Amino acid sequence: MTSDVGSTSSLDRAAILALVSDQLAQILEVTPTDIDEDIPFDVMGADSLALIELVEALEESLATQVQGFHIDDEDLEGLSSVRDAVDYVVAKLQLA
Amino acid sequence: MTLPIALDAMGGDFAPQEIIKGARRAVDELGLQVTLVGVPERMGDPLGLEVVACSEVIEMDDEPGSSVRKKKDSSLVRAAELVRDGKASAFVSAGNTGATMASALLRMGRLPGVLRPCIATPIPNVGRPPCTMVDAGANAECSPEMLVQFAKLAAAFASARFAIPAPTVGLLSIGEESTKGTPLVKETHELLSADAGVNFFGNVEGRDLIPSPVDVIVTDGFTGNVALKTLELQFVFTTVLAAIDTNDETRAAGHALAPYLMPTVTTLTPEYQGGAMLLGLNGICVISHGASNDTAIMNALRVAAEMDAAGVVEKMRTAIRPDQG
Repeated sequence: MTSDVGSTSSLDRAAILALVSDQLAQILEVTPTDIDEDIPFDVMGADSLALIELVEALEESLATQVQGFHIDDEDLEGLSSVRDAVDYVVAKLQLA
Repeated sequence: MTLPIALDAMGGDFAPQEIIKGARRAVDELGLQVTLVGVPERMGDPLGLEVVACSEVIEMDDEPGSSVRKKKDSSLVRAAELVRDGKASAFVSAGNTGATMASALLRMGRLPGVLRPCIATPIPNVGRPPCTMVDAGANAECSPEMLVQFAKLAAAFASARFAIPAPTVGLLSIGEESTKGTPLVKETHELLSADAGVNFFGNVEGRDLIPSPVDVIVTDGFTGNVALKTLELQFVFTTVLAAIDTNDETRAAGHALAPYLMPTVTTLTPEYQGGAMLLGLNGICVISHGASNDTAIMNALRVAAEMDAAGVVEKMRTAIRPDQG
């Protein structure tokens, strides 16, 4: 995965949205502009394994900025769209 | 230098004893190199084989995706990592199928351009090489684009593994005509017909599974899995055996036929097949039957070695991205 999330201070919502969109686009073999924030993952063709791929990619990217960044598996059920995922990551980073 | 095959020693109904016995036989009888991956205190005697130690096991009833994330030091995950890290040529497991696929996908990764990995199963044929059926159960719901990729991956596999120059591809449907089938089948038919990278035969039906007129049969994972289980032909075998055992005359006929029937019957058994192949990944992964005995494991290792020797991964890479081959 190639996304550059920049420095910790630049991790605002727009940066996280770009990161999530970029990672999901790579997994689904589409372009980031094809990713709509509000379309449910399953409608976009992202099954449970694709979401696990996304989570692992996000953890890998964000771990370089926020040590020990981790997405809890228990929280995955509540994430049904890119918007959910971005909001979740933003909230986690604010707590970090 | 030939790399060893990483074998999940903890996966399967009869693990670890049958798994280790199968590995030992593969070394002794086939001359293969095998590395066992397992929890030493639960493995017993490794029969002189190299062991990569881990501390966890993904059980048969564990949820595939989350178990791979939670059990990072499991035999399945570590075996896939050996392939990823260039320390093994392939990995074989008779354990949790979903977790095997998740481990392979998350650790080895997909080949560039591949939408989803799929499961390929060779079906014995009559008078010609086996027919490769794909998807045998990895993706219950598919798009037409996924089926076209599965066709290309399976054709690349069949070409490398069975030395078929330009494998013919059939699309499983309920009639030969292009107008027959579900919207998925009809749209896939259209795409396959227009794709110069596929030697498309047209639709095939359930009766074409054995013997098959094509080298590859493509379908979605739900249909493929149902078809595959139906093909195990337990009912037919049981019925034939019962008929042969009717009286002295039929038993004598059975003795006469046995030398001609047994080679075919043998190739239909899970023990001989060894396992199913995951296609579309950046490495080789063979998923062996959960009830594998030592013979099945030895044959799964043989299949993995043959796939490696045939360069299946590189052929799949080129099939999906011919411009980068």
